[in-house]
Parts: sequence; C-alpha cells; structure tokens
Amino acid sequence: MSKMIEVFVPDIGDFDAVEVIEILVSEGDTINLEDSLITVESDKATMEIPSSHAGVVAKVKVKVGDNVSEGSLVLLLDAEAAEEPVAEPEPAPAPVAPPPPPPPPAKVAPAAPVSKPSPTINIDHDNFKKAHASPAVRKFARELGVDLTQVKGTGSNTRIIKENIKDFVKQALKEPAGRGASLGVEPMPEIDFSQWGEVETKKLSKINILTGKFMHRNWVNIPHVTQFDEADITELEAFRKKTNIEYADKGIKVTMLSFIMKAVVAGLKEFPRFNSSLDASGEALIQKHYYHIGIAVATPDGLVVPVIRDVDQKSLSELATELREVSIKAREKKLKPSEMQGGCFTISSLGGIGGSSFTPIMNAPEVAILGVSRSKMQPVWNGTDFDPRLMCPLSLSYDHRVIDGAEGAAFSNYLTRMLSDVRYLLM
Amino acid sequence: MSNTIEVKVPDIGDFDSVEIIEVLVAAGDEVNVEDPLITVESDKASMEIPSSDAGTVKSVLVNLGDQVSEGSVIIELEASQAVASKPAEPLVAQEKEEQEVTAPAAASFDGSADLQAEVVVLGSGPGGYTAAFRAADLGKQVVLIEKDDYLGGVCLNVGCIPSKALLHVAEVVNEAREFSDLGVSYQEPEIDTNKLRAHKNKVVGRLTGGLKQLAKQRKVEIVTGYGKFTSSGTIEVESAAGAKKVVAFENCIIAAGSSVTKLPFIPWEDERVWDSTDALELKNIPKRLLVVGGGIIGLEMATVYHALGAQVTVVELGPGLIPGADRDLIKPFERTLKKRYENIFVNTKVTQLTPTDAGIVCKMEGKKAPEQDTFDNVLVAIGRSPNGKLIDAEKAGVLVNEQGFIPVDSQQRTNVEHIFAIGDVVGQPMLAHKATHEAKVAAEVIDGQQRFFDARTIPSVAYTEPEVAWCGQTEEQLKSEGIEYEKGVFPWAASGRALSVGADVGMTKVLYDKNTHRMLGTGILGKNAGELIAEAALAVEMGAEMEDVALTIHPHPTLSETLNFATEVAEGSCTDIYLPKKK
Repeated sequence: MSKMIEVFVPDIGDFDAVEVIEILVSEGDTINLEDSLITVESDKATMEIPSSHAGVVAKVKVKVGDNVSEGSLVLLLDAEAAEEPVAEPEPAPAPVAPPPPPPPPAKVAPAAPVSKPSPTINIDHDNFKKAHASPAVRKFARELGVDLTQVKGTGSNTRIIKENIKDFVKQALKEPAGRGASLGVEPMPEIDFSQWGEVETKKLSKINILTGKFMHRNWVNIPHVTQFDEADITELEAFRKKTNIEYADKGIKVTMLSFIMKAVVAGLKEFPRFNSSLDASGEALIQKHYYHIGIAVATPDGLVVPVIRDVDQKSLSELATELREVSIKAREKKLKPSEMQGGCFTISSLGGIGGSSFTPIMNAPEVAILGVSRSKMQPVWNGTDFDPRLMCPLSLSYDHRVIDGAEGAAFSNYLTRMLSDVRYLLM
Repeated sequence: MSNTIEVKVPDIGDFDSVEIIEVLVAAGDEVNVEDPLITVESDKASMEIPSSDAGTVKSVLVNLGDQVSEGSVIIELEASQAVASKPAEPLVAQEKEEQEVTAPAAASFDGSADLQAEVVVLGSGPGGYTAAFRAADLGKQVVLIEKDDYLGGVCLNVGCIPSKALLHVAEVVNEAREFSDLGVSYQEPEIDTNKLRAHKNKVVGRLTGGLKQLAKQRKVEIVTGYGKFTSSGTIEVESAAGAKKVVAFENCIIAAGSSVTKLPFIPWEDERVWDSTDALELKNIPKRLLVVGGGIIGLEMATVYHALGAQVTVVELGPGLIPGADRDLIKPFERTLKKRYENIFVNTKVTQLTPTDAGIVCKMEGKKAPEQDTFDNVLVAIGRSPNGKLIDAEKAGVLVNEQGFIPVDSQQRTNVEHIFAIGDVVGQPMLAHKATHEAKVAAEVIDGQQRFFDARTIPSVAYTEPEVAWCGQTEEQLKSEGIEYEKGVFPWAASGRALSVGADVGMTKVLYDKNTHRMLGTGILGKNAGELIAEAALAVEMGAEMEDVALTIHPHPTLSETLNFATEVAEGSCTDIYLPKKK
C-alpha cells in the first residue's frame, strides 16, 4: 500500500497570497526532503518552497499563476514509493478525492477551492472592536474596509463618528493622486522603437517592477542630499589582511563590509536621527533603539535587501559569516520576507565593481543610505610629503526632512574617522 | 506554619453601629480575599463586609443581631500562606481550541441533485431561520433543512420559549404565595398540568406556525429531514420515512445547534430521569426533585417545579451556582434559593443514579451532601454539546474540532470558503441571541457585504427568581486580564420601586475603565434583570461613560433607575445611598 502525503506551503512570513511563477517538479519525480518544489514571487522577492517530505510526486496541485499562501496544498507525495523504487501503478481511485465535480445534470456549486485561508486572517479584530465607535460606525468602517484603529475620532472624548470615517477615506483617496499628479510633469511618450531597427520585448521580473516603483516613489517623495567623502582605510585594510591570515585556520574571514557596518552602527548611536523614521503625519520622528542594517544585494532577478539584525551585538566574524549566508540565500531565492524587513539603515557597496562615487536612493522609511565605491591608492598630502594612502569613497544620501546638512556632514566625517582608525570603534 | 489573623470591620462610612442581619461563613470554611463574611444593615441599605485576608475560618466572633462598627472583630482566620498568596486564577479560554489540524479532504459527489439552492441553511433554530430569512430578503434563493416537523429548533420548541411560558406561571404562583405577608391571602393554587402543558404548547405553536408563514412569504423552501453533507456542494436529506433528497448548494450556513450532554452513567431509560426537554413536558409534579447541575437551565426548571409544589434539591459540581457570573451577584442569589429549596449542594458530585421502586437513588460525594438520597424525579442539566460531528461535515472538507465545534473566522466562515457556521455549533456561549446575530453576519457576507461579528458583548440571563443577568466583561474576567477597572454598586434595598414590588434582593453593579470611565460590563441580580441588562449592553457597545448613563434621566420609580444609580455611585454623585468620600 502506498501512503499519500499532502505537502503544504510552510510559513512564508507575512504574505497572504504569492504568485507561483515556476513549477520545479513534475509527476513521477523522486524528491528529497527540502528539495525545491515551486518558486513563488512576492512584491519583495522570489522564493523557492522546499518539500516537507521525501517521496515520489503523485500529483501537483498548483500551476503557474496560482496564488498560494501558508497552508495551500502544493502537491501529493507518494511516501512509500520512494522507498521501493518499483512503484506499483497508481491505484485507480486516488485515496484523496479531487475537489467535487458539480453534479452533472444541475449546474450547481462551482468546485470551489477547499480550505482557502480566511480572507479575514490579517485583521486585528480585537482592537477593531475596542475602538471608541458605536456598532453602526463599526459596521460602516467594515463596509469601506477602514481599519478603525487608524482613525482619529472627533466626537466627544475622541469618539469615532461616521464623518471621521468618510474623511479618512477621502484623505486616503487624495494621497497617492495628490503626490504623483501634482508634480505636473508630462507623461512619458510612447515610442515605437521598431521603426529604427529590430527589437524584442522582455518582461521585467516582479522584483524589477517593484524596485522601480519603490525607487521612483522614494526619489520623488524624499528630498535627497548626497554627501561625498573619503575614508583613509590604509591601516584598516592592513589590519584586516593580517587578522585574516592569523585566523585563517579558524575559518574566520572578515570583510571590509563588516567593518563598515560596525562603523555605521557607531554613527547611528552618535547621531540618533539617522536611526529614525518619520511617522505617517510627517510631524513626529520614530526613534529606533535597535540596529538592523540592510545590505543591498544584486541578484539575477533584481535588487534585494536582506537585513542583518542587531549588528551592534554581533562580532565582526559573525557579521562576515551572516553576510555570506544572506548573499547566498538571496541569489538562491531563499530569503524569507521576514529577513528583508525591519532595517534601520542600508549600505550599498559597489566597491567590488568600480566607480568613484554615486548617489544612492533612500530605502524609505529609512532616512539615510551609505554608498561605498571602490577603494584606490591615492597620494595624500601629509604636510610635507605625498603619502600613498588607500582611500575608500563614501556617498551618504540622507532625507533632508529629517537630517540637516551639517549633521549629514558630521555623520559622514564620523564614519571616515572610525574607518581610518578602528580603535575608535572601541571608544 | 499557620498564623491567626483577626478580621475586622473596615471603614464602612459614617455608620457608628450597624446590625448584622446575616452571617455568611462558619468555622471551618475557606475564605478568599474579598469574600463576604457578614451582611450588615443600616437604615438605608444592606452591605456585605468582605474579608481582608484569605484562610480558614477558625472562629466566628459575631452573632446575628449584633451591632458592629469599624474595627469590630468579625472572625479569626487561620491564614495559610499558600492560599493568601494565590493570585486570582485566570479564566481558561474554552473557546479557543486552536488545534493543529489538517482540513479533511472533501468527498466527491457524482449523483444528481433534486434541488438547487443559492443558499442552503442546515437547521431552523433561531440562528438557522434568521440566516435563511435574511438571505432571502437579500434576494437569494434559499432552502432551509430541518430534521423535525416543526421549525424553531431547541429555543422555540424545547428551550427558551416554553421555559419562559412556565416561568411566568411560576412567578405568579410564587408572588401569590408571598402576598399573604402583605395582607392579601390566596388559596394554595390548584395546578392542572394538562392545561398548563396545553398553554405552553399553544405559545410554542403560535410561534412556530408564525415561522412557517414567514418562510412562505419569503419563498424559503423548507426540506424536512436529517441533512448530512455528501460533498462540499451537496447535502443529502433523509426524511423520517426514509426518503432521500439531494440539495446542491452554492453557499451553505451550518446552524446545526447542540444537544443535551448525556453522561454514560445516567439511567436515561428510566422515565423518571429527565433532561430539560422532558422537564418541559410536565409529565408529573414530583414530591422531591433532584436537579443535577446548578447552571441556568437547571435552575430555571428548578424555579418552575418549586412553584408547582416540588421540593427541590440542586447539586452543583463547581463551587457555586451559575458559573460565569460574578460571585457577589450569586451569593445573595444562593441565600434566597437556600431559603426556598430543600437543599443546595455545591462542590458536590453525583456518582451514581439507581432506579428503584421507591424512586431514583442518588449517590453523592460532597462535604455537606448526604451519601445518598432518594428522589421521585431527577433532572440532569449539566450542559449541552455541539452537533458538529453529526452532519458528516468532513465530507464537505469542513473542520470539526474534538468537542464537535466548527471553528469559524470573524465572518462566520469555516475553513471552506463557501460554507459558514453559526450558533451553538461554533462555540460558547450557546445562546439564541448570539446565533441570530451571527446568522445575519453570515447571510450578509454571502450577499457580498463586508460584515463581521464585531459585537463587544453577548448578554447572559438566568430567568430564575430573582433573575441574574450580566453583559460585557465580568469582574472576574477584568481581574484575570489585569484591566484597571472600578465599580459602582447599587443595592436594591435602597430602591423605592424594588421595595414596593418585593424585589429588595437585588443589586446592580457597573464595571468601568478606571481611566476613561467607559462601561466595561454590568451585572444585575433581581427581578427583571434580563430586561434591565439591555440598557447596559447598549452602553457597552456605545462605549458610554458612567456620566452618560448617570446624566440620562431615568423614570422614577423604576428598577431601571438602579443602573442610573450605580453609575452615579461610580461618579460619586448618588444621593440615594450614602457613600464615604473617595480618597
């Protein structure tokens, strides 16, 4: 007897419905535990869903284009067949019946997908109920899909009245239009390029599209200032090379990026405004007391930004290890959404590629981003002579609504000091 | 090591000496902090004096009729450390039975359907018929499946409605008896159980007949028979005669209700052993009736049979009657019942019921209960169990938990998107007014509306004498959730209307948020508490502040004023009782 196992989508973080963009197995394939079954794409990243069991694929229950969530059935596995490769032909009536076909003569019940996760799953019902609003107003808010916990009441003692909900909706409708359209720029013209030669149209990946949208939004909405500077990392680089040789047998290899992360954390502590975000009203700052740093990673599908948590509490070697792991994960599409959330500050390092400086675009709601370009030996005047020094170009973009020019320059200056002599990091 | 504590009368305001009208504890009793020890009576109100410590009562130093003042020693307590430091036990969430279960795979059905419905409702109790009618009013084509020949389910036929018909009779009989104290004497009533039963059946008949009419007007098709799922799109209905009909549906609302919980050791085959349905049949008026279960159902039937002349003994497994309600409401309630009934045994377990010629012999285990006693009839009312496992829900792919409840989301949707469930079968409390509210949510969601079960409170009522009703959060819940609350209590002994209608056993207690003074809950003990609680429920839903109720002019003299007064007590503006100044 063969035993059928249902393989479901595991916990993939906050996402409710992600699109299946690729099916990696087909019926009859023998798969092992953790083998990738399908690739899904969210607004943040693509991700492969691993198998929870080993066996032979009996039936694939999803197709490209389906939306899946945690708990969605991916496929049926024949567990026993894996152990005995000479599998019997599949028994005619599958032990698990397919969704019911509508009874032939009557046009009844469309075979509705069974066990879809509830659409209400993401609503904070407890707090919704507690909002200071009458039952009729609560019902009205539900109709319009307004989260009552977000609405400010203007009735007596901040009671939420119907007008408040209408205003909330009007405001919400106004916002995106107000921001985009009020720029008053002409739309891009549509151009037929084929008139000048051969062309082909290639679809952008979802990450490309979304990165584009986010970048556009941030570029248009945030007043960017970019501060350029150079850090003298001659000593640091020497120290790094020396320790890497000393610690080679322990398998410890520290990268320049780990030092930069440490220096950034020191900067965030010295200049706390860099570790904040504007609240929704734009009238208050949310000060963060944790130090999670995002690292921009280029992948074949586009740009992703995994976040390294609690950088202040990790050693250089731990950071180096973690950096290596996340970049591998990023390239293998195995980053979870939760691993790309919660950053305080982002570092984009193009040092491995080249260039002397660039203007990085903020990863909102963060208020600053550091671009790192390729270090170069340069003659530096020490007062009497030109010394050959290894200089690392830094480009710090910051949100001018939160950070003033003087503070931006001071932060940048602080970073270069930290990097020129890492002993400062211990201070 | 145990140490002895003297518990004294605390600051009770300006009273110099008040009379003890009741001593509530005896040597050997275990008391907790805040448990009432004695009841004292001033010129305006009676008041319970709570214990300042927890422990075992060593000796009671006061007697009935004594005058006490602040500082008088009431009892000596042997404080046990363990008891004293024990925090309030958190309430166990019974409903949230979040089990890791995989949804059953739906069966397939490939026969042909006899009937098609846009919406099929399984069960015609108050939840079921409300769902069916609401869906029909929203333009859906509806089929309503009912296993019995009549509509209305338990509530209309063997629950709320017939019991209320009998309770009204009980109330009048009791009042007539008590009137002799007021100088008006009636003869002991002659009770014709056949006629009384006929009256009850007439009330039920009018309502269920009315339902059929309402269904017809809405073109809701009623299919009579026992419905079970055969797939996620079909239900097979088998009539009593064995004829089968297949109803195919686009959407389904499961309103399959609950049944009396039947413990295996109970000799149900004996006609003298009743469940609530039997008790409503008024087969006979026993001389001595044992009621197993001190919850709402048991106590309502006890009220009826006591009024009709039975001597009643109530046995409750837990430490008090009507679990779920605050103890300060229940204590005076229990005192009233103790005077009226033969016996009330709490913390007592019925271990065996043996039918004999002399009656049903009941073996009990409990501190105060006899080892055994013989009764003419036994009513077993220990609760109800959901019917989730009786409808082949798994064939539709619908999850049913171990207890038989069907888990739903806040739109009443089961794990299967087009199948909804409401009422007793989805969880506690098993109350008709919860079911009807859920019914409308489900029907409106099927209609495509954005509806959710957003009610803050489902009021509970025991239609006993006196009645007990509560809504919102109870004081016990607030304590266990660590919510900062305060309370305002108004004793009915200070209400002119209560005194004039002989309803001085009563209290109205409001519970409110300490910071915002918004109403969090209310408990009422006393005549018509079930009617009075509605205003408090509105206040909870509206997030009304104490002042909102206090500043609303209530008609005088009414029992409804007691809610007004309790909120005034909360605001310190009540002039109908004397309150020591708040610090």
